[in-house]
Order: sequence, then C-alpha cells, then structure tokens
Amino acid sequence: MDPVSTLPVLLGLAWLVPLASFTLIVLFGPRMGKAGIGAGYLATGAILTSAILSSFSLFFVWIPAYDMPEPSHPVAADSAHGGAHEAEVHDEAAHKEEHGDDDHGEQHAESSHGEHDGGHAHFDKPEIAGEWYTLGKFGSLRITIGYYIDSLTVMMFAMVTFIATCIHFYAIGYMHDELHDYVDHEVTLEDGQHLHRPGRFHRFFQYLSLFCFSMLGLVIAGNIAMVFVFWELVGICSYFLIGFYIERKSASNAANKAFIVNRVGDFGMIIGLMVIFATLGTFAFGDVDADGDGTPEPGIFSQVRSPENDYALVVPDGVIKAAAASEIAKGVEATPEQIQSWREDMEPGGVGRWAYWLMIIAGVGIFCGCVGKSAQFPLHVWLPDAMEGPTPVSALVHSATMVAAGVYLVGRFFPFFVPEVLLVIAIIGCITLFVAATIAITAVDIKRVLAYSTVSQLGYMMLALGVGGWSAGVFHLMTHAFFKSLLFMCSGSVIHAVHTNDMTHMGGLRKKMPWTAYTMLVGCLAIMGAGVPFTIGLSGHYSKDAILAQAMSFEAANPMLGWLFYVAAAGAAITAFYMFRLWFLTCAGEPRDKHRYDHAHESPKVMYVPLVILAVMAVIVGWSIYGTPVGIQKLLEQARPMGILTTAHGALLTDLVHPDEHLSHLEEFHVASTWYATLTGLAGLGLAIVFYGVRVLNPAEVANQFKRVYKFLVNKWYFDELYNVIFVKPVLLVSSRVADFDKKVIDGLIDTLAIGTRMIARLDDMIDRYFVDGLINAFAGWTYAVALWFRGAETGRLRQYVMFIVLGTVVLFILITFYLSAPLAPSLSTLEGRP
Amino acid sequence: MEPINWHSVFFLLFALVGCGFSVAVLLTSNVVRMAFYLVLALAATSGLFFLAGADFVGAMQIMIYVGGTLVLLIFGVMLTARGPFISMRTPAGEWILGAIIGGSLLVVLLSAATSVRAWRPVAVAEGEARPTATRLGMALLGARVDKLEEPDPTQREGMSGYLLPFEIVSVHLLVVLVGSAYLARPKKRAVGSTAETV
Amino acid sequence: MNLLTEPIGVSHYLIVGAIMFVTGALCMATKRNALGVLMGIELVLNGANVNFVAFGSEYLRPGAVSMGLDGQLIALFVIVLAAAEAAVALAIVLNFYNNHSSVDVDKADELKG
Repeated sequence: MDPVSTLPVLLGLAWLVPLASFTLIVLFGPRMGKAGIGAGYLATGAILTSAILSSFSLFFVWIPAYDMPEPSHPVAADSAHGGAHEAEVHDEAAHKEEHGDDDHGEQHAESSHGEHDGGHAHFDKPEIAGEWYTLGKFGSLRITIGYYIDSLTVMMFAMVTFIATCIHFYAIGYMHDELHDYVDHEVTLEDGQHLHRPGRFHRFFQYLSLFCFSMLGLVIAGNIAMVFVFWELVGICSYFLIGFYIERKSASNAANKAFIVNRVGDFGMIIGLMVIFATLGTFAFGDVDADGDGTPEPGIFSQVRSPENDYALVVPDGVIKAAAASEIAKGVEATPEQIQSWREDMEPGGVGRWAYWLMIIAGVGIFCGCVGKSAQFPLHVWLPDAMEGPTPVSALVHSATMVAAGVYLVGRFFPFFVPEVLLVIAIIGCITLFVAATIAITAVDIKRVLAYSTVSQLGYMMLALGVGGWSAGVFHLMTHAFFKSLLFMCSGSVIHAVHTNDMTHMGGLRKKMPWTAYTMLVGCLAIMGAGVPFTIGLSGHYSKDAILAQAMSFEAANPMLGWLFYVAAAGAAITAFYMFRLWFLTCAGEPRDKHRYDHAHESPKVMYVPLVILAVMAVIVGWSIYGTPVGIQKLLEQARPMGILTTAHGALLTDLVHPDEHLSHLEEFHVASTWYATLTGLAGLGLAIVFYGVRVLNPAEVANQFKRVYKFLVNKWYFDELYNVIFVKPVLLVSSRVADFDKKVIDGLIDTLAIGTRMIARLDDMIDRYFVDGLINAFAGWTYAVALWFRGAETGRLRQYVMFIVLGTVVLFILITFYLSAPLAPSLSTLEGRP
Repeated sequence: MEPINWHSVFFLLFALVGCGFSVAVLLTSNVVRMAFYLVLALAATSGLFFLAGADFVGAMQIMIYVGGTLVLLIFGVMLTARGPFISMRTPAGEWILGAIIGGSLLVVLLSAATSVRAWRPVAVAEGEARPTATRLGMALLGARVDKLEEPDPTQREGMSGYLLPFEIVSVHLLVVLVGSAYLARPKKRAVGSTAETV
Repeated sequence: MNLLTEPIGVSHYLIVGAIMFVTGALCMATKRNALGVLMGIELVLNGANVNFVAFGSEYLRPGAVSMGLDGQLIALFVIVLAAAEAAVALAIVLNFYNNHSSVDVDKADELKG
C-alpha cells in the first residue's frame, strides 16, 4: 500500500473516531443504555477502532513501506574507534573557536564515523506532510489542518491508542460506581450529609474521548499552530477530568491549578510561536506545496536545517532579516551575500548574535510550553495535585497523553533547538528529575508517589533530549508510557480494593489481589530498568541505559556539566528505591489495616486483564520484533530529524558541545552506563529491601534522625509554599487592594450616582403622585361628587319625574320667552301669519 | 244687544264641562270616580271637536276614546280595585308643590294662548258645513284632495297623504295587541312570592 | 266682552287645551294609583288633541294659515296611539300588580339611584 496516500486517511480516521464518539456522547450520553453505560462502550469501541487503525498503519503500512536505516554502530566499530573518538572530542573542545559548525560536522564525519555518518546524512527520513483543510488565510499567515507523518507520529498513534484502549476498558470497571447515584464520602455538605448526586459515567467517557482526540490531533498536527490548538484542548480536557469530582474542593482546586500553571507555560509558548511566525513566516513543520505551484514551500525544519547546508543547523535567513531589520530599514540590500555576512557577525551587538538570540528565545519559548505541560521544574507543582482525578485519568494523563505531549513537542521541535536551548532543557530536566525523585521518597499517598515518579521520569526524558539524546529521550517516553500507565492502573486497582490512597493503611495485598500485585511488580522492575546487562531486560532497561549513556557522553564532552550525569545516575537509584518502597508498602509484608485488608478483593476481569496486557507490553516493548531488526529504537532512528546526528557546538556558550548521539553507543559509554544503571538500580532496590522488605532498618527512625531533610522532602521542597509567597500572596494582596479600590471608589461613584438618580426619581414620584395623580384624582372626585349630587335627583319615584318634566317645560317656556325671543322672532312672525 | 252666538254658547258649555270634569278627575281620590269623570271630560271634548268642524275626529273621540280606551281603563280599575287601592291619599306637600308647578305651567300656557293675535277670534262667514270623513279617508289612503290647489309646487309634493304612517300605525296596533296579551298573561308565581299575595 | 255673543277663536280652544293639559299633568304628578296616572296621561293627550283640532279647524282660522286636514289627521293618530298606549300601560300595570300586589306607583322605585 502506498503510505503517502493511505496513511493520512488511516491516521485521520483514527484521529477523528474519538471525536465522533465524544460528539455522540455529548448529544445522547445520558440516554445510552442503563445510566449511560452505552457511553462507556461507545468510547471504548471508538478508541479500539483508533488503536486498530493505528496498529494497522504501523505494522502493515509504515514498516513494510520504508527501509530501516543502517545499523548505527556495530559493537566492533565502537571499540575500534573509541579512542579516536575521545581524542577527537577533546580536540574539538579545544579548537571549537576555530571551527564553525559545518566545518566541524564534516571533519567529524570524515574522521570518526566515516561512511556510517555519511550514510546517515544521506538517509532520507521518510515523512509525509500535507494539509487536509485550510481554515483561513490572512496575508502570509495560513491556518491549516495539516498532517506531518513520520515513524514517530505513527508510533505515537499506536502507543497512545493502545494505552488509551487499555485504560478505557479498565475505566469501565473502575467507574462502575458512577453508574448509579453516587455518594461522595469526601464531600460533606452544610447539613452534615455526604453529597448525593447522579452518576456521571457517560460524562467521564465523553471527556476521555475528547482527550484522546486532542492528543492524537496534537501528534498528527502538521503545523505548530495546530499543535497549539490541540495543546490547549489537551489542557482543557485534563482540567475537566482532574476536576471530575468537582464537588470536592481539593479536586476543583487541583483542576484550576493544573489549568493556570499550564497557562504560565503556554504564555512562553505563544512568545515562541510569535517569534517563529514573525521570522520564518510559516507554522508548518514539513515542506508542503500549499499554493499548488509544484514546488513545496519550506517548512520550519527545512528553513532551519536546509538540505543545501547538509541539514546542519544554520540560523535561517528570515531570522537574520528580522534581526537586521534596522539595517534593512537603512537601505542595506538583503542579498544572500549580505545575509551571509550578517550571519557571521557574531560579535557582541552583531546582527548574527541577535539572530541567534532570537533562535534561543523561540526555542526556550516553545520549551516553556513543554515545561508547563510536562510538569517540569518549576511548573511541576500541578501534576501531583492532579491526582484528584479518577485513577484512569491519572493513568492516561501520566503516560500517554498530557505530559507526553510536552516531551513529544520537544522531540518534534528538536531540529529547531540550538545547543544553548538544549542546555536549558537538560538542566531543567535534571533538576526536575532529582527534585521529584526525592519528594517521591517520603510521599505516602500511593498516587502521589507515582505522580512524582512521573515528574522524575519526565525529567529524565527532558534531560536526555537536552543532552542531545533524541532517540533516548523519545524512547523513554514510549517505554515509560507503558509501565507508568500499568503502575497507575495497578494503584487504581489497589485503591479500588481498599478505598484509600494512603500506603500506610495497606500492606500484604499480594495475597488478596495477586494479579494486581505481580503486574505492579513488573511495572516497578520496568521503571527501575531491571535487566541482565548486555543480554536482555525489561523495556525501561533499554531506555534508561540509553539516557545514561548519552548523559555520560555529554559529560565526557562537557566536564563542567558532568553533574547532569551524576544526578541522573543518583536519580536512577532513588527511582528504584521509591518504587520498591511503594510495592513493599502496598503488596508485601503484613497488613497494617486489618479492616481494609479484610475488605480488599481482586478487581474484576475488565480491570486486571488490561493490567496483564500492559505488563506484557512493559516487558517486551523495548525488544525488536522477533526475527527482524525492527523495534522502537530502529523506528526512532528512522524518525530522527535530519541533521541532528552530528556533534553540535554552542555559538554563544562556545564551550558547549552536544555529542553525536551515536557516540553514546561506543563501548566506553555504553558499557559503563549500563553498569551504572544496573548498579544504581540494584542499590536503590537493596535499600528498599533493607528498609521495607526485610525491615532491618526502621524508616521512621531514619526519618527522625534526618528530621530536617525529611520535613523538607515531605513538604515537597516547599514549592507550594514558595509559590504561595511569591505569586499567590502578592496577587491576593494586589487584588484585595484593587477590590478595595473597586468597592470604595468605583462603587462609591456608582452608588452616588444611584443615590442621585434615586432622589430625582423620588422627586419625580412626588410630582407624579401629587400633581399628575392629584389632578386626575381631583377630576374624578369632582365627577363623583357631581354624580352623587345628581343621584339624589334620581329618586325612582314616578310622580316626581312628572314634576320634573313639567318644571322643565315651564323653564323651557320661560327661557324661550325671555332669552330666545329675538332669535325665534322670525319664526314667531311666521306663526302669526299675515296681519 | 247683539244676538246670541249659539256656537259660542255651545263651546262654552262643552268647555266648562270638559274643564270641570278634568279638574274633578284631578281632585277626587277615588279611582272609580276618576274613571267616570274622565268619561264625561272626554265626551265633552268630542263636542268641542264637533264645534271646530272636525266631525270625523269627534266621532272617533267618542268611539275609540270613550268606547275603547276608557273601557279598558275601567277594566283595569275593576281588576285592581281592592279596598286600599280605591282611594289613595296623596300627601299635602305634594299637592302644594304640584299646584305651584302646575299653576305656573298654566300661566305660561294661558299667556301664550292669549298673546298671539292671529289666534284671536275672527268672524267666520256662514256656510255649508262640509263633512271631513271622505277627505280624511282619502288622505289616509295617500291622496290629499284638499290640497290640490296648493300654488307652491314644493309644498304640494309634501302633501301626498298619510299612507305610510297609516300602515305603521296598523302594524303598531297589531304588535301592541300581541305584546299586551303577552305582558298580561298569568304567570307561574315564584314560590317565595306566594306568601306575599293577599 | 260677552262670551255669549262674540265668536270663538283658536285662543279659546287653546285655553281649554291648556287647562286639560295641566290637569292631566297634575294628575300624573299627584295620583298614587297607577290607573290614576294613566288617566292623567289620557287627559294630557286629550288636551293636546284639542289644540291640534283647533289649529286645523277651517272655521276658527280660515285661509292658508290653518293646518287644515293635517291637524285632524294628527289628532286621529294621537287617538289611535293613545288607545295602543293604554292597552300596553294597562298590561304593565297588571304585571306590576301581579308582582307587587299593589298599584301604588311609589312602590315602583327600583330605579332609585
């Protein structure tokens, strides 16, 4: 099948089916079956359809259609060239000022990797870019619904829809409480009763469908504007779902927090978008022939890394022109030569430097959005609070959709990021992973542990991307999605059984719920990165190794930034520790709450079957398809943006070197990092066993000994308090002042006006009442009095009427005689006749 | 001494009888006597009509008024003539009030009657009395034989008889006949009012 | 002025008519018996009739100023209508009598304002 024509249709369908489901549930949700249970089946069916379409696209359309890139580094080659590479790296570090980027890339390719690198440089990344529909056109700005499909897109589709399908099935079981009237025991009304409300089963699935639609739209989006739209849709969906138990104060607060914190990041993203559009004049990722003249217009990626420059990152002409706007305004011609000379003008205050800064601003801006969405330091505070949502939502948010969106966007935008931006990403990721991991040690809420674990793992991904490990970071995104959704659903299963989030009330549950407990163990092992070094391992083993290897490679190139690697390695130990702390506290040992333990039970089949499926996936997802070299890593190689497989140097921070990712496959890094990962993991596991498994050490005592540290961690590094002091309090202060101003000055003004109006109205009322009404009343009174007077004449006595008639006749006669004789004289004379 | 004008003598006689019995009707309080005096007053009036040359009208006065209407009234008197109703006294205050008002009306009318010169008596030439019945009958049928010589053509057009009023009066009489029969028919009395009947 | 020798004029008839008219009117105004009131009406109509006949008489007012036959015709209509009126009025009186067991017009004061 021709992927160029079929994939947009298949993936477009897979994208739109959840939207259809959402629309139907919005319209007919409450009437679907008993208590809307049909909505659950509809949404699940829709996402299952998407999953089938996506898997079909991946396995039967994409993989057969495109060749895999050459094997990157045979192990033999690694060892043979290892020394040379190291020497070269140091050599480059010493001579970076003499060498430009391009210069270096060539040298690097020739000396170190020879034909392999050359091969990669010429391996054309398969991608399909196009547009379905143009929403609007404003000058050069085109807002379109387009698509940009490469193997990353297809894989993300398969991963998202697969996990979402599992979660949907699971949610049908998990949310069954919502099928009838629901008593929310966490909400106490004013009268002391618990809240009773109708079930919202259909609403839950309605949002899930919208969520899946948004995430898939974000993945398939062909331009950054469309990404932004679906970015915000994902945000609003998470808002709805986190605030699903809206009557709980904590849930609505958490939803608000998630939304507002994300806005902070999105602000940066909008700045990035503006810079991109203002300088490059397009939003599109790939080259799309939009005006139909036969030659495709260059998208963002082609402008930044054009084939003419051998896909090396060169500040695009548009950015240069924008930076040199004042020069151009003076009348300097922007000829290619002039642009080139500007580009090379990297002196402080030079045009090239400004242009480079623009690139940094755009990159950091885009990354700001990712910081918000992927819950990176310092905007990570929303994610743990987002645990207020139902557990399937947490599973979805934390694995495949919301937080994945940030990492996905960094991965997608990777070609655009200059090394300085990557450094920012790496540092942010590193801080995040460490902070979150340490907090996770002390958390007792099972979902919060997992939430901080997610934040920490996202930090890993960002770190990997930031140190140049594109495929390592995205690979970890994939594997993490599987085992983190598994872990969340396991925790949901546990919560479902014991009706509490507090791990101190659990324990020993593996006897009661074996499926949950052992799938959870698989999840823990996977996230720890368990495996037999150099032979086989769970999925996390591969991705974490890759990250550490790249970090190590980065450390070798930038000794000053070596702490990134050590923190990451320490993070691996902490990860193992808190994950197994979680597992031991939950599933092993003796039950700490007899009552809850007695009531615990294994979850229904519809819940634990997805667990088993995900557990299997968590194990095997890092492997290649049996008998072929095709695996996620291969596919990622295929999706690797053109031109990033080189060693890159910072232009401002000239010391900064981003080593070629393939260098991390060299034995010195690969072997060492594998050992690091394994050993740190084992160390963490051992600590956990010592503390919680065999209980040689009492955690409480240790906590007591390191009281201050413990308190610091329990309070989550005081981030919430810090933000409270820095942002919330001042805002509240200002708003209270503004409110005072409003109340006193503006309201006072209006009140005065109102009082004035009221006085005028009162005067008016007086006039109306006493003058106008008085006039009318007086008139009516007179009429009434006259009528009363006349009434006396109407005696009803017949004989008196006769008297009146006679009297009237007499009066008439008298009148005629004395007053009307003159007018009547002619007729009288006629009457008299002739004399 | 001038010769006695017999016309005037008879006029005087009938006028006195008519006016006298009219006043008697007014003054008596017995309803039966009132009816009797009224008969005499109306009969005397018919005499006045004869004296004025209106022989047919005088005859009708006797036939319809005295013979018809008054018989009807007397029927009414007889039907309702029970003890308390035969003579009902009127308060003296009303008499005085009536006398004042009636007197003033009388003064006005009399002054009007005597003040117009054209209405004063004139000497009438002796002549053959012409009966009016034929002319009246023709007028009622639509032909005014007495106005044939009217010189003014516009006035002549308007003198085309009384056929339409005659028809209207005929139908009117029929309606009155039916209506009075309907009004006076015995009604089924309401239960509540039975006790009040004497 | 000798009434026995002088001719009679319209004025004389008018005087008789006026007396009858006033008598009838007073009759209507003072009689409490409904039939007495009816008789007063007859007298009033009669007085008017006297006037009509007088104005239409060729003997009292010769020449064109006389109303001629018109006076007598109107008098005839008045007589006929008086008869009709008497019949209806008598029916009303009988009805009134049936309802109130009385012919006292003072009792018929339901129109009192």
